[in-house]
Amino acid sequence: MEKAKKRKIGIISSIILTLLIIFGVVSASALAENNSKHVDTWERVKRLGKIRWGVKADTKLFGLMDTKTGQPEGFDVDIAKALTVQLSKQSGVPMQADFTIVTSNTRIQLLKNANIDGFIATATITPEREKVIDFSNSYFKAGQSILVKKGSGIKSIKDLNNFKSTIIGVAGSNSVINVKKFAPKAKVLALGDYGQAMAALKAGQGQALTTDNGILYGLATENPGYTVVGGTFTSEPYGVAFDNNQPEMVKQTNKALKAIIANGTYNKLIKKWFRGVPGLDWRSLEK
Amino acid sequence: MISLLTSNFHSFLVAFGYTLLSSIIALIASTVLGTLFAILQIVPSKTANVIARAYIEVFRNIPLLIIVMFFYLVVTKIVKIGGFTAGTIGLTLYTSAFIAETVRAGINSVGIGQTEGARANGLSSWQTLRIIILPQAFKIAIPSLGNQFINLVKNSSILAFVAGGDLMYTANNVAATTFDSFNSYIIVGIFYLIITLPLNYYMKFLETKLKGMA
Amino acid sequence: MVENNQDNMIQFVDVEKYYGHFHALKNINLTIKRGETVVLIGPSGSGKSTLIRAINGLEPIQEGHLIVNGYDLHDPKTDINKIRKRVGMVFQHFNLYNNKSVIENVMLAPRIVSHIPEEENEKYALELLDRVGLKDKAGSMPSMLSGGQKQRVAIARSLAMKPSALLFDEPTSALDPEMIGDVLRIIQNIAKDSDMTSLIVTHEMNFAQNVANRVIFMADGEVLEDSKTSDFFKKPKSVRAQQFVDQVQNH
Repeated sequence: MEKAKKRKIGIISSIILTLLIIFGVVSASALAENNSKHVDTWERVKRLGKIRWGVKADTKLFGLMDTKTGQPEGFDVDIAKALTVQLSKQSGVPMQADFTIVTSNTRIQLLKNANIDGFIATATITPEREKVIDFSNSYFKAGQSILVKKGSGIKSIKDLNNFKSTIIGVAGSNSVINVKKFAPKAKVLALGDYGQAMAALKAGQGQALTTDNGILYGLATENPGYTVVGGTFTSEPYGVAFDNNQPEMVKQTNKALKAIIANGTYNKLIKKWFRGVPGLDWRSLEK
Repeated sequence: MISLLTSNFHSFLVAFGYTLLSSIIALIASTVLGTLFAILQIVPSKTANVIARAYIEVFRNIPLLIIVMFFYLVVTKIVKIGGFTAGTIGLTLYTSAFIAETVRAGINSVGIGQTEGARANGLSSWQTLRIIILPQAFKIAIPSLGNQFINLVKNSSILAFVAGGDLMYTANNVAATTFDSFNSYIIVGIFYLIITLPLNYYMKFLETKLKGMA
Repeated sequence: MVENNQDNMIQFVDVEKYYGHFHALKNINLTIKRGETVVLIGPSGSGKSTLIRAINGLEPIQEGHLIVNGYDLHDPKTDINKIRKRVGMVFQHFNLYNNKSVIENVMLAPRIVSHIPEEENEKYALELLDRVGLKDKAGSMPSMLSGGQKQRVAIARSLAMKPSALLFDEPTSALDPEMIGDVLRIIQNIAKDSDMTSLIVTHEMNFAQNVANRVIFMADGEVLEDSKTSDFFKKPKSVRAQQFVDQVQNH
């Protein structure tokens, strides 16, 4: 009897403890949401004299870590540098560019937490995203495509629309959501970054890797046994992202984008990164 | 947070099932394997001792992620292994190395007199181990086994790296589609507590129950 | 090869035992006949325990022959469990199974080693527990017993295997003085049984005098004396034995 009673008390106190922890966490999260009050990004970058950009480090051509220098390099990174110079001119305040590595999965949260001021990280402008963050005008027109093993017989996304097929993508990217619309029967696996996704494709965990064509071309240059097929089946305009409700920052950025296109900087960067990528007509990317 | 949970409830529930299934399989398999390698360490055979030692040192001293990746990316070229299976196998091997050490320590702390008493009584060495030594060793090892089991459940989040469909994987995906990482991870944190707290309580209960039997 | 005499329960022939470089048993030659009760005495560290533990294979020997119930322990082909089934041992620290109840301690080996039917096994176990005065403790766990009670259970456990010989390794050394009498009385009753061979390591001289047919005196790993009990206690042949007996009796 005594033992059964003790046991009952033990169970009840465990349940109470669990509920208390859950309650505590819920109220803490509510509190945290209330505390994140609005700060004007344009004012902040002028005051601090630097812009903290989120860029990728796992995406060839756009943002890839150079293992020798320890710095990310790519088209997005260079755009960030060019924009920083231009924004500096526009504001009259000398500003420098600071880089933080983000992934598809972390970039929005880092922005919300004000760990970064903005990100240029192969982010497609979508209506869903525009509800929570602000985008500049598109700085690059990409489209989703698939990368497959040479000689696999897969010609386009349609060939993957069956229950036997597995398509690999990257968690947090727009492409894993989109691909379900184009191949609803296929199984979709979302891996951590493009390195892991490519490794999984090579290991045979799936038949195709899907994401934006620019990124896939980057992967194809590194992995000659693989090729981009079927052209693009979506339009993915990349934008520079800022926290919600930052009209001034967006306005200044759009102005700066126009300026770097007008002064030829933009086309120089397109040439620098995309000339010589097999299967890609780099001239079509020029503005 | 509540709306995030309700609108993704099905996903979280399925993921909870995968995490629970992986944890249960790995818990049973790693206890069996761990006990086997604890025994191989104490049998009077140099070869068995060396094999057991090597197994334990390898799997105990390599990050779990690497073991899992090895099965997901390399072994799969020989035998097809998906993310869930690769993750569960990695989790089993990794945990079994720690359990082997725990069980061995338990065996060592059962006095030599128990073995001598049993052997002099006519029991074979296997009977002695199975009926006399191991039950006492497990009783001693329970608090530390409880820790291993809870670590195992938490470590099952490794499945997310290989798209294993578990709670962590789903948290990543929900966070990515809703842009609400904060609450996604809190929700799965609570799901993990739903497994670990009762497990913890059960191990404590087992401990006091067996102590009463001493 | 050593002659295998059916009358001999235990026979040591030129036995040598080493722990590393330490020479624990030196040239032991000794024969114990079936039904005999032999007491082994000597100062601590003399090798008594090593000798008695060698008989059921708890200590391997390095040289010579040790023939127990017709099997040579030093022959690698010998199945040691065959000897252990017939030769029981009672330890100084009892070594009861801590995870088993009193009656399970007694019934376990007959069940899984000798495959005695459960009903018969239980009946005999209760009979043995009754004989050592602990029938009412059948369901208790060992941790709930006193030292003397534990030792009586340990004796019952050994008897349950219906052994030809019993080895007692200082069975009363770890007991409180008021417990010793009961345990010795039980051992004495067992030893009186003419079919049972008993070898007892003890410091209890009065007990030795009452129970033993023969007394063996050991010192420094050697057997110094092997005499009839009456002869030994009247006048030990060696000076060491004389000194030892005086010391123990004056104590």
